[in-house]
Amino acid sequence: MPVTNQALAGGYQLLNYRVDRQISRGGFSIVYRAFDEEGVPVAIKEYLPSSLVLRTEGDIVRASSAENLTSFRYGMKCFFEEGRALAKINHPNVVRVLNFFRANETVYMVMRYERGRTLQQHIQMRQDQMSERLVRHVFMHLLNGLREVHTHKLLHLDIKPANIYLRTDGSPVLLDFGAARQTLTSARPKLAPMYTPGFAAPEQYREPDRLGPWTDVYGVGASMFACLAAFAPQAADARVSEDHLVSAKKIWAGQYSDNILEVIDWCLRLDPLERPQSVFALQKAIRDIPPIKRKLGFFGSLKKMLFSEIGA
Amino acid sequence: MRFTIFQESRKGSRKTNQDRIAYTYSRDTLLLVVADGMGGHAGGEIAAQIAARLFIERFQQEAKPILKNPLKFLQDTMLRAHAALGSYANQFSMLETPRTTCVACIVQAGHAYWCHVGDSRLYLFRQGGLIGATKDHSKVQYLVDQGIIGAGEVAAHPDRNKIFSCLGGLVDPVIDLSRRTPLRNGDVLVLCTDGLWSVMDQHEISTWLTSTPILTTAPQMMREGEKRGGPEGDNLSAIVVRWGPETLTDEQTTTVTESLGIGDFETQIERTLTLTDRKGTQRDLTDDEIEHAIEEIQSTIQKYRR
Repeated sequence: MPVTNQALAGGYQLLNYRVDRQISRGGFSIVYRAFDEEGVPVAIKEYLPSSLVLRTEGDIVRASSAENLTSFRYGMKCFFEEGRALAKINHPNVVRVLNFFRANETVYMVMRYERGRTLQQHIQMRQDQMSERLVRHVFMHLLNGLREVHTHKLLHLDIKPANIYLRTDGSPVLLDFGAARQTLTSARPKLAPMYTPGFAAPEQYREPDRLGPWTDVYGVGASMFACLAAFAPQAADARVSEDHLVSAKKIWAGQYSDNILEVIDWCLRLDPLERPQSVFALQKAIRDIPPIKRKLGFFGSLKKMLFSEIGA
Repeated sequence: MRFTIFQESRKGSRKTNQDRIAYTYSRDTLLLVVADGMGGHAGGEIAAQIAARLFIERFQQEAKPILKNPLKFLQDTMLRAHAALGSYANQFSMLETPRTTCVACIVQAGHAYWCHVGDSRLYLFRQGGLIGATKDHSKVQYLVDQGIIGAGEVAAHPDRNKIFSCLGGLVDPVIDLSRRTPLRNGDVLVLCTDGLWSVMDQHEISTWLTSTPILTTAPQMMREGEKRGGPEGDNLSAIVVRWGPETLTDEQTTTVTESLGIGDFETQIERTLTLTDRKGTQRDLTDDEIEHAIEEIQSTIQKYRR
């Protein structure tokens, strides 16, 4: 019998925050919208791995068995890694952590609440193709955030449209650092690998020693691909044995500038060494694309976004 | 597959633990590996670590979800580990190649296959009797085989630590492979380093692990072994597997591999770390550590608040 964890009820007082409602639920956590003492909305992420712990009622989290308690606490380490990673970064294009605390036998991360919707929702809800201007606008800003992440010697490792949030003003925010790792330290923490097929680079499947900025670059390329195609590229592990991925340049020839299509194909190279080696190199390549005039300009897209219903 | 598994490595009275033990399994195949690093400095620990990790990594690449040829896998991996130690020494211009013993065992489709280099051992017990074992690649074992000394004299012999085959040595290792050995429910596999077998003979090990839930008695056995090692005691390590569903206790201790997805692995690498991995492996986070982590994150948030 599948048992699901009970979310905290609306109105629940969690430390200084009043829970309003559940925003989303993943395999390892539930995210709530809540209000702080001054009535400012925040997003609170509750560590609650569904396979390990049970909360069928009330608020206290209990491991469903002694063995699971060990795994629960181990997973908590990964949650701490995410907190540590984000605490250091204060950048408009990276989700901001405001607080981190322990309660109900588990841990919570409080983040700034953003209005808008994920790039994933945006892709799915659009009728027509995404304009080149919008793609470039979103990714140029997102890469500013990612550059900041890399500057702190961190890799995101799970870049995909579902983890890119578009504010109502069109600016992107990089979310969900659940897979982020501290890099460039002599010893790599041995965490369970986490990746999303289609967006994860081939080295994430097999060669954890080869992870680097180029790994996130692959995720960026795959996300750009998904903006154009409305679906993810073929999973990298499958591509390694038999590559069916048709180059962006072939698929969208004439619809987008050659340059941006070349950039996408460049990011999606299977060999890590053949991709842009840094976010800066990638930004430079995108910046070098001559802007092209389209019927619906950037402000047009922006207006469209502003008037579209806000997904939560 | 259903089995109960225990693994533990204890430092004894040594400053560092140069033993490495690990297991990993997919839905249909189980790998156990024990390595005992040799020599002073960090070399032994590195060697054992490299060998254990190489086994785990290759297993996860090849067991999809079963190995085509378990014995060939064992032999190839031993040879690769030997080569890897050589290139490691080269890369870091080490005067001496790090060396280690190694014993590894695969259980697949109800059959066990094992392979060893040096004097780390495997015992297979059925109803308390020994039905399978490795034979050390050691000078004293040679003397026993030649009838020069008796088996009982091995543990006390002055040359008991001299082995003629190891991974990372100057000459290629002698690798012994077992036969394909069918397992029955209740069979007990023990892989251990000389730190255990030199203080406890096979009869005693068998007594500890027969007709008792191994998760209760194996830790007692390890504590007893460490105690016997005394102030000069070596590192001692063991992996114990009781094949089939656990029938000796009502507690839910049986590992059932069918709950794993295809392509998934469950892995445990046990080590007392002195130099490699500052985070350690899967273990309980204490309350203090949780509080500490939260404090650290909160102070970082404050620091970067603008």
